Amino acid sequence: MDIKIKIKSTNLNVFYGEKQALFDINLEINQNEVTALIGPSGCGKSTFIRCINRMNDVIDICKIQGEIEMDGKNIYAPNTDVVSLREKVGMVFQKPNPFPKSIYDNVCYGPKIHGIAETKDDLDQIVENSLKKAALWNEVKDRLQEPGTSLSGGQQQRLCIARAISVNPEVILMDEPCSALDPIATAKIEELIDELKTTFTIIIVTHSMSQAVRVSQKTGFFHLGKLIEVGTTEKIFKNPTNNMTQDYITGRFG
Amino acid sequence: MTKEQRLQKRYSAEKRFKWYGIISICMALLFVALLVTKVLSEGTSAFVKSTIEIKLNFDQTALNLPEKPITEDLNAIDFYSFAIDQILKTYPTSNRDEEKELIKLFTTDFEFEVKDFFLANTNLLNQTVSFKITASSDLDQLHKGNYAKNISEDRRKISNYQLKIYDHFIQNNKITKVFNVYFFTNGDSRNPEIAGIGGAMLGSFFSILVCLIISFPIALLAAVYLEEFAPKNKFTDFIEININNLAAVPSIVFGLLGLGILLNVFELPRSTSLVGGITLALMTLPRIIIPCRASLKAVPPSIREAALAVGASKVQSVIHHVVPLAMPGTLSGTIIGLAQALGETAPLLLIGMVAFVVQVPANPLDPSASLPIQVYLWSESAERGFVEKTSATIMVLLGFLIIMNSIAVYARQKFEKKWI
Repeated sequence: MDIKIKIKSTNLNVFYGEKQALFDINLEINQNEVTALIGPSGCGKSTFIRCINRMNDVIDICKIQGEIEMDGKNIYAPNTDVVSLREKVGMVFQKPNPFPKSIYDNVCYGPKIHGIAETKDDLDQIVENSLKKAALWNEVKDRLQEPGTSLSGGQQQRLCIARAISVNPEVILMDEPCSALDPIATAKIEELIDELKTTFTIIIVTHSMSQAVRVSQKTGFFHLGKLIEVGTTEKIFKNPTNNMTQDYITGRFG
Repeated sequence: MTKEQRLQKRYSAEKRFKWYGIISICMALLFVALLVTKVLSEGTSAFVKSTIEIKLNFDQTALNLPEKPITEDLNAIDFYSFAIDQILKTYPTSNRDEEKELIKLFTTDFEFEVKDFFLANTNLLNQTVSFKITASSDLDQLHKGNYAKNISEDRRKISNYQLKIYDHFIQNNKITKVFNVYFFTNGDSRNPEIAGIGGAMLGSFFSILVCLIISFPIALLAAVYLEEFAPKNKFTDFIEININNLAAVPSIVFGLLGLGILLNVFELPRSTSLVGGITLALMTLPRIIIPCRASLKAVPPSIREAALAVGASKVQSVIHHVVPLAMPGTLSGTIIGLAQALGETAPLLLIGMVAFVVQVPANPLDPSASLPIQVYLWSESAERGFVEKTSATIMVLLGFLIIMNSIAVYARQKFEKKWI
């Protein structure tokens, strides 16, 4: 299978007020692959993925220089519509954050506001498909009207994944999606990520080396706002070229 | 100091603080109990009134009616003379002065009471029925035991002759106490026995309604804008300081504003609950904005991010998620703000709602009083009959406040459960 570049960042610099958070990030994300971003806390991984769906726009003091291209188009071009960008780039957060509404409403909210579904039947179908893709359908199909907040942590996170894929995105950003979950729920989500990559391009931020090895094909190592090293996951973990990478993955710092 | 001594000291300090707390709560409860006891002991008697039972003989000739009376004939009846005739039959009098004293024991409105009764029951023509006529306030107070009988006559509101009539009525079981409907349906009056808070209640209701309609949407939108959309800079800080200041401005200042702008510049009708409501809305606005902002701030940012991440616009994320989640806090803040407005007196004094209004207002454009103003007006009156009415009005006002605050607490608890 030939590899296609989905997202490409060029000389990306991000500032929070006076403080520079990212320095000249040049990174290519391949389509239908899982790209893992690793690095110590505060190194800018989350900032980077929040640039991809422009979630940083919400923060007043955040300034962005450089370019991020998706399918060859700069998403920071003035004529980009943020809402349709976020429709294409879904996001799953560190802490499960379902809406305090029913499971059904959680999943159908996105399709509803984007007018993806014409009829109630279409909407039901989308909800069912999304929950099935998120491997949650069998657990919740009998209680779709119960509040999403009544689910367990792992179920809530899968609900959030279902919500993210309900609008048919092309890219899914995951910001430490398993950090609040137990190992069993984590295993389920990892399995899910593996399946999802056939349809979506996935970028995952993680603090777990083993998780990066298990789920990703490509890994980028961030440190103090700089992208230190990037390559196939196999190469990064077996044969890193940079000493810092070597130290981090073996647990000598960070 | 040894370890044991230090331990002992810590224990006694904790015990001491616990007692300080208990004492403060007892003090607070004591003051509340004092207030409630005073109001209750003075006011409860206002909910009943004394009536004197008289025989009404609706004789055709006495009423000056033709053989087959039509509506116009009925309206032309001189009920004043008819009622006086009937009243004079209740006790044998020997001269004009005695007649006057007898009539004075009945409400000044006796004519209308008889008229309303007869026009509602025209089938009683040519029959004799007993009818309970409202007693005058002085007899009412005497009957309720608020007047001392054993002082010299010139210091009494009730003369010796009237006392004799009273004793006569009592012996014949003519005086009974009934529920005082007038108190809830009538407007203000110079005569305590027919004065009521109906006008004041409706005036208060209209004011609060106008206040709610104006202040709630403005406060909610202002709070949403400030909390969700406004950039955080010096200017928004300045606005925030001003809102907090406005919430602390003495309410009489808003009354002056209402007087100067609403009445003098826009020439809105004086003494109306419309102007009262607008003035109260100005006063309540900052007091609602502050809790609205607090409850918006309490909505976790993760909800906003979740909505934005599925591609909701900023406005959609706010309207679909943030505002509904903030609603319980917003509503209870609003109700508490309105409860404060309900008890507000000073600004209404300045826009003329202190006028003496007999008519019960039909809409917000009619002149009217409000409950706290009614308390103020009656507390200044000389008649003994208004004392109990003042306390009873306070009871009604407190009742409304308790109801509103309970709704606020209930709304908050009921709807907040949903999203945990």
